[in-house]
Amino acid sequence: MAHLSNQNEQQPPRHGLLLLQALILGLFCLFALRLWYLQIHRGEVFSVLARENQLRQEAIFAPRGLIRDRNGKLLAVNEPAYALGLVREDCKDVDATLEQVADWTGEPLSALKETYSKKRRLVKPFEPLILIPDLTFDQMALFEANKLEWPGLEIRIRPRRVYTHGKLMAHVLGYVAEANEAEMEKIPSLALGDDVGKLGLELMLEERLRGEKGLMQYEVDVNGRRLEGRVLKQPRAGYQAVLSIDLGLQELIMDWLRDEAGSVVVMDADTGQLLAIVSSPSFDSNAFTAGLSPEQWAKLRDDPMHPMQNRPIQSTYPPGSVFKHVVAGAGLANGMLDPSEKVNCTGATRLGSHTFRCWRWRWGGHGSTDLLKALTESCDVYFYKLGRRLGVDRISEYAKAAGFGARTGIQLPHEKPGIIPTREWKLRARGERWQGGDDLNLSIGQGFTLVTPLQVARFVSAVINGGKLLKPELLKDGRVTVQGLLPSRPEHLKRLKDAFVNTVDGARGTARRLRTKDVTVGGKTGTAQVVRLTDELRKLKDHEIPYKYRDHAWMAAFAEQGDRRYAIVAMIEHGLHGSSGAGPVIKAVIEYLFHDKILKKKRKKPIVKKVTNTASNASGGEE
Amino acid sequence: MAVDRRLILHINWQLIGLTLVLFLAGVLNLYSASGFRLEDGMSVAPFYQKQLVWGLMGMVGMIVFMLPNYRHLKTIAWPLFWFTCLLLLAVFFAGKTIYGAKRWLDLGFMNFQPSEMAKICILIIGARILADEREPLGFGRLAYVVGVGLIPAGMVIRQPDLGSGLSILMILGGMILYRGVTGRVFKTMIVAIPALAPLSWFFLHDYQKQRILTFLDPAKDPLGSGYHIIQSQIAIGSGRFWGKGFLEGTQSQLRFLPEKHTDFAIAVFGEEWGFAGTMILLTLFCYFLYQMVTIARDAKDLFGSYLAAGVFFYFFWQILINMGMVLGLMPVVGIPLPFVSYGGSATLVNFCLIGLVLNVSMRRFLFK
Repeated sequence: MAHLSNQNEQQPPRHGLLLLQALILGLFCLFALRLWYLQIHRGEVFSVLARENQLRQEAIFAPRGLIRDRNGKLLAVNEPAYALGLVREDCKDVDATLEQVADWTGEPLSALKETYSKKRRLVKPFEPLILIPDLTFDQMALFEANKLEWPGLEIRIRPRRVYTHGKLMAHVLGYVAEANEAEMEKIPSLALGDDVGKLGLELMLEERLRGEKGLMQYEVDVNGRRLEGRVLKQPRAGYQAVLSIDLGLQELIMDWLRDEAGSVVVMDADTGQLLAIVSSPSFDSNAFTAGLSPEQWAKLRDDPMHPMQNRPIQSTYPPGSVFKHVVAGAGLANGMLDPSEKVNCTGATRLGSHTFRCWRWRWGGHGSTDLLKALTESCDVYFYKLGRRLGVDRISEYAKAAGFGARTGIQLPHEKPGIIPTREWKLRARGERWQGGDDLNLSIGQGFTLVTPLQVARFVSAVINGGKLLKPELLKDGRVTVQGLLPSRPEHLKRLKDAFVNTVDGARGTARRLRTKDVTVGGKTGTAQVVRLTDELRKLKDHEIPYKYRDHAWMAAFAEQGDRRYAIVAMIEHGLHGSSGAGPVIKAVIEYLFHDKILKKKRKKPIVKKVTNTASNASGGEE
Repeated sequence: MAVDRRLILHINWQLIGLTLVLFLAGVLNLYSASGFRLEDGMSVAPFYQKQLVWGLMGMVGMIVFMLPNYRHLKTIAWPLFWFTCLLLLAVFFAGKTIYGAKRWLDLGFMNFQPSEMAKICILIIGARILADEREPLGFGRLAYVVGVGLIPAGMVIRQPDLGSGLSILMILGGMILYRGVTGRVFKTMIVAIPALAPLSWFFLHDYQKQRILTFLDPAKDPLGSGYHIIQSQIAIGSGRFWGKGFLEGTQSQLRFLPEKHTDFAIAVFGEEWGFAGTMILLTLFCYFLYQMVTIARDAKDLFGSYLAAGVFFYFFWQILINMGMVLGLMPVVGIPLPFVSYGGSATLVNFCLIGLVLNVSMRRFLFK
């Protein structure tokens, strides 16, 4: 400091200089110690942490369980789909990127922007946000060629559900589609973009079909490229379902129904397994997996034929004459019916001031009629009298024991229970007391009673299998579940069964068209009145009646050979007459089941649109 | 202005050399830190290029600050002070609001931040006042000096820019300590400052309180507010003794490290160059600071000495706070590391202040 300024008062503060040097020393010591602590003392620990940072974990999709028919034919499979995702963190300009994607795919920009903003908060910034779930090959090629210019866009391969027979099996299988927020909340393993069952077996078996996702860990290098990966947890494939359904039979029935509205149920009478359950018209399950556009959805929803309605379990109809077996069963079970007792049918009966007609009133009625004849020829007057004698309470009790008015418990969603009216029900639902006329309507299956085709099939099965009410089963390895017993003695059931057979084999039976070589076939036709036909409409020929006023056609049948027996029920909406409307398809089913024959529907005239043979009607083949 | 040849002879080349080494280490580090991961190879965001351009502008600024005799600053110290206050006032009335803070003046071609100017101004006015103090500061004089500093500091804090406002006060505070205070003042401060510090809690914003709480327990919210602290320590710690090598830092390259090119730049450095590298950097910084102490010691007059001390504190506080934050010794405060962190105007100001102390240094033998 000797050479410093000669002015003493200008000396820099000595303590101050010391302070500055002390501060430097302090700074050095503090940070040197801290750096030693972090980098040497705990360096190893931090190295491990940094390494863990480099490891990323990713879920491995579990293949959703395949679904096959009873013969092993594939119904639902998984195929790779190429989805376009956007990784926000890597994307430099989201708006420009979305515009480019819109340009490539033809998707409207506003829709993409909406998808983006909707999913934004659900996806982590370094994970791909799926913009387009399913790229076509051309779109993918376009993208691959340009991807270098658009960082942040990436192709994700994900499984996509494909239904090999989308339209044939739509009502059984249902479909899967992207999970919504509520579903993701309910099922924690679902991630955004995962598919989940929405309808049908896909919904009901969701938990088993889904399987369990695996976990993959992989390392990323400094450029973010994936290095070798390690599987931490193998994915577990979902349950492979084998259905009781026979695809060939399903196809045959669909082919017979074409696009007529109706349902057909084929049930193994001993196990409850369904070999076919057809609802027509149908829709294509595959349309839903790809995501339905609002227009497509509106078209399906507003279709007057209601293709989304699963008719065998969701549509309820008056059972018509098919119900006479239930009423007969109730009479026998209550000991109030002597099968040999004869009733003289003159074509009509009177109750108070009202006349109730038998369908043969024009021809003067059935004459002297016992139980067998009454069931075989479907005599209304006989059942009016039986109905009066039994009353609503006994009939309803038996009908309920026969499984009507309650869901069958089939493993499909949104099943309807139908209605078996009681005194209380009428009071509650209609605000009126039960009338004598209601008894008469009830006894021939008209009026308030509503049943589903599946319930009828279950009842027919019970009649021929010794009275066991079976739960309809869709899985081939499903257990046989007896839900109840018909309160009828074996000899009573035999009488009902014989009447079914006589209706096919007897000279005047209404279901003669079902006769099949080497097979015991029984059947019962029925007509469910859609409206009480006015006399004016009544005078019209069948084909002149407007479609929506035409009666529904029922046919409940069974076929038996050796130890194989099946209940077969067909319901054709507005099909006019049971035998001609619903009979041919049942005949085709029987030929398929027992003779491996595939009867082709004659292509000349659809049942509904044109005239049915009125001559056969007049000759007494129809009710 | 003719430049005396003796001036050039007396330039402190060591300080210039140190400054350039630190700056270039910063640019190199920035090159690594701004690596932007892409699917195919690495593209580099042009931060380091911008930083180079700012550095060149800074060197021009440095020479400009060297040329005129620093004594003229003594003459214009007060007008400069009031002019700065006027600018701060202008910000208050006509400033440009960015991110909810009114800190900028729109000059048409650029946004100008008068608070940066206030930092330079405070060390000039501080030197101007303190150089004339014959005795260690008693309460009265202390109140006067602090009062002068509070005028710009208060306005800056109102912007709101707490960091810059406190910087101004801390630079001035350092200079006051350098000048020395009376024993009574010193004792009182030793008691009063720790006692009053907790009261400042009530003046903090929520996010500032949160940062302090997070600092105390970063593990409480490891993916939220504790993320920066934890990840920067992982980065530095995983460098171990020799580091992972240039461009090899996994923490920074894979973007686990936040703010890596600005406030957390030294974390990238620590990861890639290890303990060896950080110790060299720390030593360089200390030597760099020591050069300013020698300049303060050798200055021809007290005004020059105080200027050097002011610049010393300007850098000292930034180094202390930034490294303290990144190394997990202090709460997160947005203060950059001189020359190493990216930042245009900060780099420019840094070089200008180096020019200022070089100015003092080269004129140490000149007579009036």
